[in-house]
Amino acid sequence: MPSVMELYQFLPKTNCKKCGESTCMAFAVAILSRKKKISECPPILETSFKKQKDKLESLLLPTAGAEETGMMVHHELCTGCGNCVVACPVDVANDPKGAAVGCAPTNEKVIFKVVDGKVLASNIKECRRFGKNRVLCYACIDPCPTGAIEFV
Amino acid sequence: MGMDIGKFLKSPEHEIKITTYRDIFQIEALERDRFGEDYRKLSACIVIGKNDMQKMGIKDRDRVLISNKYGSVVVDVKESKKEEPGGVAFMVNSPWSNALVSDVTGGKGIPEFKEIIAKISLTKEEITSIESLRV
Amino acid sequence: MITCTGCALLCEDIEVIIENNSVKETRNACRRGAARIKGCVNRMVPSIDQKPVDIDISLKKAIQILKNAKAPMLFGFGNSTNEAQKKAIQLAKKINAALDDTSSFCQGHLIEKVLHNKFRTCSLDEIRNKADVLVYWGSDAQDSQPRHLSRFSYFPRGELRQRGYEEDRLAIAIDVRESNTAKICKGHFYRIPLKGDREFILALMDALSGKVPTYDPKKMLELAAILKKAEFGVIFAGIGLTYSIKDDIDILVALSDKLPNFHIMPMVGHYNMRGFNENLFNETGFVNRVKFSEGKTIHDDKYSIVEALKENTVDALLVVGSDPVSSLPRSIISHLASIPVICIDPCVTMTSKIAIVNIPCAVSGIESSGTAIRMDGKVVELKKAMASNYPDDENVLKRLLEVI
Repeated sequence: MPSVMELYQFLPKTNCKKCGESTCMAFAVAILSRKKKISECPPILETSFKKQKDKLESLLLPTAGAEETGMMVHHELCTGCGNCVVACPVDVANDPKGAAVGCAPTNEKVIFKVVDGKVLASNIKECRRFGKNRVLCYACIDPCPTGAIEFV
Repeated sequence: MGMDIGKFLKSPEHEIKITTYRDIFQIEALERDRFGEDYRKLSACIVIGKNDMQKMGIKDRDRVLISNKYGSVVVDVKESKKEEPGGVAFMVNSPWSNALVSDVTGGKGIPEFKEIIAKISLTKEEITSIESLRV
Repeated sequence: MITCTGCALLCEDIEVIIENNSVKETRNACRRGAARIKGCVNRMVPSIDQKPVDIDISLKKAIQILKNAKAPMLFGFGNSTNEAQKKAIQLAKKINAALDDTSSFCQGHLIEKVLHNKFRTCSLDEIRNKADVLVYWGSDAQDSQPRHLSRFSYFPRGELRQRGYEEDRLAIAIDVRESNTAKICKGHFYRIPLKGDREFILALMDALSGKVPTYDPKKMLELAAILKKAEFGVIFAGIGLTYSIKDDIDILVALSDKLPNFHIMPMVGHYNMRGFNENLFNETGFVNRVKFSEGKTIHDDKYSIVEALKENTVDALLVVGSDPVSSLPRSIISHLASIPVICIDPCVTMTSKIAIVNIPCAVSGIESSGTAIRMDGKVVELKKAMASNYPDDENVLKRLLEVI
């Protein structure tokens, strides 16, 4: 994924504040964390900035499929082993008789489910990386040997 | 004495030791279609560590001929993404690796699937097809 | 809920959505299992000499071949139900055939030790509830039995292991290759040289007896200390280990004697390979490699599929649910081209392409029901999820048995 500096260098660097942020650097941080979209910068929509806008979009493309927590599941790498289903602390708490003890999830409150041999994430707002009291949890990343889960 | 021209035309051969392993993506392809392109791509290859590849002058995605007295196959090279101690290359268990397995069993009924000794050299030939690996 | 036949874990919690008599979606099955449940693209059609015929005609031809054979052999069965395997044993008895299965060149030796109670073993459910030290030895469960770590061994919480894997369990990998399973074992991956298992076991036994091992003493003593502290340990013996010590399997029994809190579990691939071993064992006292002769059972390595093909000692081969042309060394299978081969399978295989007679069957666990034996010995029920135009392999074998 791109860095804030990489994104910043393609922004107009005028600190016009039209996007609602105080500086272009702050806007770069906002688009990287998906709080703002590129289109919320009015100057960059002008034709003279087209090349820079295209460049920004291509830089952000790898994160386009990410959930609000930044979670991305690379389905092509997933083996469907279910380690994340069982290791996720939210799944353990929400499904103590199913996912927690290694069985198939017994309710819809879990974050991870395996469908067609690949993991699917849902209820993403339950993820520990979301909301006010968020923590930098690695419980689904560590048990995955193929790197199929990533936070961007 | 005439010059051995063959020595200059043929790619250099290197001794290689191969062990076999299992791969879930290849097993998935086998379940779906053992005669399909996916199974061939995931089977007809050899994974080699970076240092060993440099020593042999072989690069990622090169085409190689692997042969010994039991058989020969043409497969693609994949550079290992891991740190390898070297000395051993890896082939996923398949008809391609089985073409190189020895028939010496000492009458015990278990072939030596895990230690294949062969020669490896660069080639421009086509990948060995599954059809040609039949009896 | 159906049971997955993708591997010998026989996961019983699989949901399938079926539309127009085909599986549209699977839930809870891993990538390997989902592929098995969704099935192959090239289903077999009944044929003689590779020309399509009616299934009854192919059956008649199979009967004729088996009747005329002087030294027939029956082989395969790792993907057959217990019921089909029992029929195969009866058929072999009736026609004085040799009988062998894929465990013959896989985990057969180890399962034989288990059935003879040569070392302690345990159930997968006990592992989930009690195990604290797990050793994956020459076993890449992540790729071969993909839900092993999540359903039973490492990640789930169990009765005595309530706090999760980070605190309550320790996973160790001993392997030649940094497999996906070894990656999970991170700080406890012991990489051994090719065929180095025997030396590693000897050094470990030294370390466990308080001697200074000659091989990597620091690491061996550290590992011995971890194993000694285990309350309920398990060694998952993969084929990497079994192949490496194939000439001296007893060394594993010796190691087990030095580790009183440990259990050994053979990691089985095909869904009912252990079933075949148990069914034949119950009938004859042997797990594989037998020949029936006028009511007597002879057990000999020469009745292994590998030696039988190598030494040209069979004159007809019936293959059920297996693909020896694919899974055996090419240097050994050339004899197959010169004898009549009968193939019973749901799908076209490399073996079916050289077979004189092909008899298609239903996919067990999806198109037909029955029972199978999980890698730990538990009997698991297979359910039928949809209809098939073809009989199951039990039925095919039953029809052969009735007519011969």
